[in-house]
Amino acid sequence: MPAATFLDTSELVLNMGPQHPSTHGVLRVVLKLDGEKVTGCECVIGYLHRGVEKIAENRTYVQFAPYVDRMDYVAAVSNGLGYCLAVEKLQGVEAPPRAQAVRVILTELNRISSHLLWLGTHALDIGAITPVFYCFREREEALKIFEKYCGARLTTHAFRIGGLQYETYDTLEKDCLAFCEMFPKKVDEYEELLTGNRIWIGRTRGVGILNAEDCKEFGVTGPLLRAAGVEWDLRKQQPYSGYEKYQFEIPTGANGDTFDRYVVRIQEMRQSTRIIRQAVESLPTGPIMAKVPKVLKPPVGECYVSIEAPKGELGYFIVSDNSTQPYRVRVRPPSFVNLQALDRMCRGSLVADVVAIIGTIDIVLGEVDR
Amino acid sequence: MNAVLDFPYLKPVLITLVIILVFPLVVGYIVLAERKVLADYQVRLGPMRVGPYGFLQPLADAVKLLIKEDIIPTASDRWIFWLAPVLSTVTGLTAFAVLPLSEWIYIADVNIGLLFILALSSVGILGLILGGWASNSHYSLLGALRSAAQMVSYEVAMGFALVSGLMVAGTLSMQGMVAAQQRLQIWFAFSNYGLMMIPFAVYAISAVAETNRAPFDLPEAESELVAGFHTEYSGFRWSLYMLAEYANMFVVSSIAVTLFLGGWLRPFPSVAWLAWLNFVVPAALFFLIGAGCAVGVKRYSDHRVFGGIMIVLTGAMFAAGASFLLPPVNARIIGLFWFLLKVAVILYCYIWYRGTFPRFRYDQLMRIGWRYMIPIAMGALIVNGFVMLWGQGGERVQ
Amino acid sequence: MWKFLRTVLLVDLIQGLWVTFRYQQPKYIYTEQYPAQRPQVAERYRGAPRLNIHPESGQTLCIACDLCALICPENLIVVTSERNEQTRRKELTTFTYDTSRCMFCGLCEDACPVDALELTQDFELASYTREGAIWDRQMLEEGPLPKQYVR
Repeated sequence: MPAATFLDTSELVLNMGPQHPSTHGVLRVVLKLDGEKVTGCECVIGYLHRGVEKIAENRTYVQFAPYVDRMDYVAAVSNGLGYCLAVEKLQGVEAPPRAQAVRVILTELNRISSHLLWLGTHALDIGAITPVFYCFREREEALKIFEKYCGARLTTHAFRIGGLQYETYDTLEKDCLAFCEMFPKKVDEYEELLTGNRIWIGRTRGVGILNAEDCKEFGVTGPLLRAAGVEWDLRKQQPYSGYEKYQFEIPTGANGDTFDRYVVRIQEMRQSTRIIRQAVESLPTGPIMAKVPKVLKPPVGECYVSIEAPKGELGYFIVSDNSTQPYRVRVRPPSFVNLQALDRMCRGSLVADVVAIIGTIDIVLGEVDR
Repeated sequence: MNAVLDFPYLKPVLITLVIILVFPLVVGYIVLAERKVLADYQVRLGPMRVGPYGFLQPLADAVKLLIKEDIIPTASDRWIFWLAPVLSTVTGLTAFAVLPLSEWIYIADVNIGLLFILALSSVGILGLILGGWASNSHYSLLGALRSAAQMVSYEVAMGFALVSGLMVAGTLSMQGMVAAQQRLQIWFAFSNYGLMMIPFAVYAISAVAETNRAPFDLPEAESELVAGFHTEYSGFRWSLYMLAEYANMFVVSSIAVTLFLGGWLRPFPSVAWLAWLNFVVPAALFFLIGAGCAVGVKRYSDHRVFGGIMIVLTGAMFAAGASFLLPPVNARIIGLFWFLLKVAVILYCYIWYRGTFPRFRYDQLMRIGWRYMIPIAMGALIVNGFVMLWGQGGERVQ
Repeated sequence: MWKFLRTVLLVDLIQGLWVTFRYQQPKYIYTEQYPAQRPQVAERYRGAPRLNIHPESGQTLCIACDLCALICPENLIVVTSERNEQTRRKELTTFTYDTSRCMFCGLCEDACPVDALELTQDFELASYTREGAIWDRQMLEEGPLPKQYVR
């Protein structure tokens, strides 16, 4: 090996700092570049750490529920669902069928709105500046339904331990069906604007490939795993909250690149519309709240419940010591685990692709940092 | 007085003064149009507060840019920092000298008009590079070099596309090109049995890339990590760069209009019985805009200043429409109307592309320029040459 | 063959252009021009808190049971009361609600047994000072009075 000469290039270390329009929150990515190619990247997180898990140790089970929405603030209803299911499992109750059906409706609407936000911001990162407005317009319709149901659009606090607090409002079924009528045509529009577009395909195909072995190695779940070809969806594998009653498909991709993840999420939006329609049409009657004691003191024990959040597997591990406050609440956020695969996805790609790859993982820093 | 009127350079000087005084305002309104049209695509409203429907927004923007603090990085090269935007702006505006705005409205009819414009745009690239250099930041320099490389590559493609048009036109003089289209009674984009559409398409795409507009604007817009050559420029210097960019857009559109779309000729210049287009189209257009302004008058009827502005605008639109119906006035200014209308359509297409397409990555951008645009343009040149040799179309320069 | 023509003639790009072009009609505009047009919020909207008073007698509905203060995750409600010797009941004296720390979760509204504390549809709660965000009983009964900008 010849000794180093002045012609040797050294690697450049570049900081995509916490404040960057394309990192979807306060995420710092340190890139090692060799000219234009990325040879490695490291994520520095923690800029949004709020100590949510510690807060849980000092609040009762009922009081902690609003905090849970603030982790994945884009899709707050799923967070609430996971938490309520975990505490219900600890307590040993199950929500009645009507509550479960309404939970499914709201969770699927929530999945659609999360994917819409992802699509808008991802397209914006890649340079298409109009789909974001169309996506937010549709998201507005879903958020209106949330607002009419529980009173808040973003941090919904929709579910309670044991069922629901609010009965459905009079026009819920009508609104949901109208949404299901309107939405597939809008998805067709987004596809017309983006899917066949050669510029879009050129920017996303072959970029950020994460194949199935890598996914399993990193523990990546959600649309990234499905785009790599693995048919794994917790709604089918470990059904919860009555999902076994509804018919829907799991879209998968072939290569695990950014384009496949885009197609998988678009198909998931369509499947969610199917689920909402089925749930609304078969909404059972009955009580909306199970028998839960006024002062909730679950028996000593621990449980782990995971659900299929829009971003991946969202898990809650709750340890209880028979007091009103949990001993420990540990959240397994999907974005945190998926973000660890960023290094593997960015190796060998150009700097301009790093932004697209961060966008395609669909991270929400509130979840990553908690 | 007679001495003034007989001054041989009176018309060029007057038109130069008008362009220099009016064009910055026009650029401001093109920016407003871009914001409103983009807002239309994005189902929102755009600027609405400053003036009726936001029409005084460019004035607010101009005032803001002028009173902003002029920051010069301490470690930068002061003279070059001052020179770079000036260079870009001057070359951009000088190209207006040979644009044939109408039969009789032009500053100079140089017989190498097109070559002059291409030379000026090449010098204009230097303004970009100097801007990146003077900022004394290696990210700005890299961004500037990328922009410059992109512009240079697409100039080659543009050049080949323009040579095809030159073959058909037979002259480099801008007025001569329009005169040739008038003589041959066809817009050059449709000649050679429609084969000239290929150079026209290549020119259209290269023009978008030449001016660093979407979908070819990676060096300047999202800017992965660098903000391009104009990072360190603020206030008035930045507005000079913007002026240069829009002047460039206007010039490049004007070349397209002159060489391919008939310049200041009306559509179907050969068909004599369509001469009423000269009267109906401008009058209809201005009356339609006037009707829109009348709706605006009603909306702002309770606001004194904005309502007044809308009333003045409505009156002006109807007066303009009516004036186009008078034959003597029409004969003088109809050329200018058609030219500006066609340039406006092309500028609208620029904004349309920006609102619709995602961005190309830099290597994809360069690949398109070198591997697709240039070979296609060369191929089209050869094909068009053969068609002209054995068919009709084009002027034989004796 | 078709695929080649579609690539050369830029069919997919023109499709995209047509989608954006279609949207240029005034009926598609989705903007609300605030503050001239205020958004219509839902009935269950969790907005500004209000202490309800009985419509006829004008007395406060609150029975000073302190349930809202106990359930609040942020402990920002302070309820004080005194015992009225004649009716032998607790009567409300002061009620302090800190809207600057409130996360509008609605637990206090759910907890109140007499529907005295209610989260209304007002969302314009801005104030110029930090102290202005801490509402006392009078502000809670009146509600925020945002400035209406009418021409």
